[in-house]
Amino acid sequence: MLGWELPPFFAGGVGMVCYHLSQALCKQGIEITYVMPFGPRMIRSDYMKVLVADHIFPRMRFKLKQVETMIGAYTTQESYNEDFRKYLLSLSPRDRVKALYGRHVFEEAYLFARKVRLIALQEDFDVIHAHDHWTFPAAIAAKKATGKPLVVHVHITEFDKTGGMSVNQRVYEMEREGMHKADLVIVVSNFIKQRLINNYDVPEWKIRVVHNAAEPMDKSVYHDASKIKETDKIVLFIGRITLQKGPDYFVEAAKKVLEKDHNVKFIMAGTGDMLPRIIERVAELGIADKFIFPGFVTREEVAKLNKIADVFVMPSVSEPFGLVPLEAMWEETPAIISKQSGVAEVLNNVLKVDFWDINDIANKILALLYYRTLHNQLKKHGFIEVRNMTWEGPAKQCIAIYEELMRMKK
Amino acid sequence: MVSVCFYFQVHQPIRLRKYSVFDIGNNSDYFDEQKNKEIIQKVARKCYLPTNKLLLRLINKYKDRFKVSFCISGMALEQFEKHAPEVLYSFRQLAKTGCVEFLNETYYHSLAFLFDKEEFKDQVLMHRKKIKDLFGQEAKVFRNTELIYNNELASFVQSLGYKTILAEGADHILGWRSPNYVYTPKTADKMKLLLKNYKLSDDVAFRFSNKGWKEYPLTTDKYAQWISAANGNGYVINLFMDYETFGEHQWEDTGIFEFLEHLPSEILKHPDNDFVTVSEATSRYPSVAELDIHNFMSWADIERDLSAWLGNSLQNTAANELYKIGKLVKEAGDPKLLDDWRKLTTSDHFYYMCIKWFSDGDVHKYFNPYDTPYEGFIAFMNVLNDIVIRIRDIKKQKKAITQNNTYTHKPDTGLFTHSFISEHPSKNLLNMYSYDK
Repeated sequence: MLGWELPPFFAGGVGMVCYHLSQALCKQGIEITYVMPFGPRMIRSDYMKVLVADHIFPRMRFKLKQVETMIGAYTTQESYNEDFRKYLLSLSPRDRVKALYGRHVFEEAYLFARKVRLIALQEDFDVIHAHDHWTFPAAIAAKKATGKPLVVHVHITEFDKTGGMSVNQRVYEMEREGMHKADLVIVVSNFIKQRLINNYDVPEWKIRVVHNAAEPMDKSVYHDASKIKETDKIVLFIGRITLQKGPDYFVEAAKKVLEKDHNVKFIMAGTGDMLPRIIERVAELGIADKFIFPGFVTREEVAKLNKIADVFVMPSVSEPFGLVPLEAMWEETPAIISKQSGVAEVLNNVLKVDFWDINDIANKILALLYYRTLHNQLKKHGFIEVRNMTWEGPAKQCIAIYEELMRMKK
Repeated sequence: MVSVCFYFQVHQPIRLRKYSVFDIGNNSDYFDEQKNKEIIQKVARKCYLPTNKLLLRLINKYKDRFKVSFCISGMALEQFEKHAPEVLYSFRQLAKTGCVEFLNETYYHSLAFLFDKEEFKDQVLMHRKKIKDLFGQEAKVFRNTELIYNNELASFVQSLGYKTILAEGADHILGWRSPNYVYTPKTADKMKLLLKNYKLSDDVAFRFSNKGWKEYPLTTDKYAQWISAANGNGYVINLFMDYETFGEHQWEDTGIFEFLEHLPSEILKHPDNDFVTVSEATSRYPSVAELDIHNFMSWADIERDLSAWLGNSLQNTAANELYKIGKLVKEAGDPKLLDDWRKLTTSDHFYYMCIKWFSDGDVHKYFNPYDTPYEGFIAFMNVLNDIVIRIRDIKKQKKAITQNNTYTHKPDTGLFTHSFISEHPSKNLLNMYSYDK
């Protein structure tokens, strides 16, 4: 399996999915050799402890081979150069030489490909499963070298990241090549399946939909929010503050809500390129005292926020799946989600809106805050629904796909 | 001797629009006129007009030997008057033949009996008058919304002067008995009770076009045979169904119209068989037993109980809040307000809040204006809040008049700073009573 990130070093949903999926696959008896590029050093220790332990999974092995690079899934060309410079400065001169191969994101991906090709020739495996487009060149190289079947797993596309505007041509081609050279393509929702058919020319027969699942936080959280909650209700947004996630629609809807009821606070947790503009807009609208921007939050803080919130909103413009509402529902907070998302295909006990319809978003926020029956119903049944969405299902589907791949090869 | 007793239910709710929180206090236009008009005209084209035409033809052909009964809700009648008068005209033609009986129900097709018996009575009398005005018939037969029935209902309906009442022939109340006989309600010894033969009714209404059904295709001679087989084992075959079966639930290309067209001749082939209206059935045949039905039952879903409308907390909350303010609505003395409130009692609004059909492919989802039951709940509760504001405004106006002031309504901005139907319903209504600012 090829992945770009793995908790605790991750930047978003993709890392979580890789983690949960590989764990569930291991539980069902699949041997995984997880090859990933290098991240911060700490990833090795935490992670190995959880998965490699032979006494937990006696009959299977989960090997981690780390290859040195600097790429994260959400790196842009500019931020990468910056991070790379900082990283280099943090190393000793000897290490710097080692790390100094390829200074640009794309070169990194192709370097990774060369390394993976060698690894693949040494390893024994049946199927190549590659997550997210940065691993595609490596995946293709491995397939070419060993002749083993390849399935690529598409979590997000350039179109979703950019909302259809200013798609990066090189990224697009990298994505496209991976999809076409693969034997099968897994997507996380019907929403993305359609995207692949329309924008990437992928034939329908090649695509398999495997919806993501929900996984609980490891610890239960307690948070004393009594100070705020005395007077105010809390409406929560968690995600990158970037075009794709619709933070601007959240702000406009908040304004409408506040016109009807002053006693609501809006929390937007996350960072991103749109953050400055959002803060400006909030001030412009005169509602700055109703907003809280905690910045980047840890998994534990996410759980706490979800617990104290009264309503969770995901107004994404284009969301391939969307794990964040599942986390809210796990903490018994009703969610309002955009219809333009993959997760809307699988959830029943949520309120769904069109991301642009700020009147409807505001209407539903107010309804959840004031119709207690509705709030209780969604809170209770949402939790039950999420509890039943385990990773066993997607893992089983992947195994079926692996078997199909091996049949195809014969 | 076997008598086939057809009864067709005709109903279309007046659906709400997607009424949002921002409409409360600003806009009292609750109903989606456009959508309701489209639907009624569509169903008229596909079902009401062609089937009425067919029935008229059959009645004329068989001269007094082919009979049917109808129950048309006040909501459907109003919409015919407004958007499809030719449908009303065709029903009146049917009435003129003397071979068609019209039944009574609650005007608003509501669950009022479960909450407010006075309101129930008002709605029944309204319907009685409407049917008399339109079709010249003083109805003797009553059926409650969705055939909801129990002992208490029977005795109340008897006190309103009806002679016959209908109910579902559910297994759990019939036991070993057959629905092919006439019964008497235990609590209403002067009335007769007819029970739907659900097997034969649903064969036509639901299974007719189901290619997976082992009896598919259902031909008229096969069906007539089944009906005649009751001979010696019952007197009356009660085929009660939604009128939309013909052309809507079962589309024209399933052959449903041809089936209906040839059925009378097949049935009448046996000289012992005939067709009867509901009243004819109960006056001709004696009652064979008393039926004691304590718990409410209905013709809905597999459960045949009230769970389709009052099964979850959303439905219960909405219904309770609605009926709680009934008295206040009437005291306010505004006929438009009263009519709006009454339109909310239509059972469909609660059906739309049913969570059961997340996994079902239910027939009622057909014209459901909402994507999810939650949206149905939200729209309904928002409308209810607006009604409460209107009551309050009327009170203020009355007060202003007595104090020689004037009161003008201001668009309501601080909605939830007033006590409305929100977290503590009962508290709010007490505030309503003592509203004295």
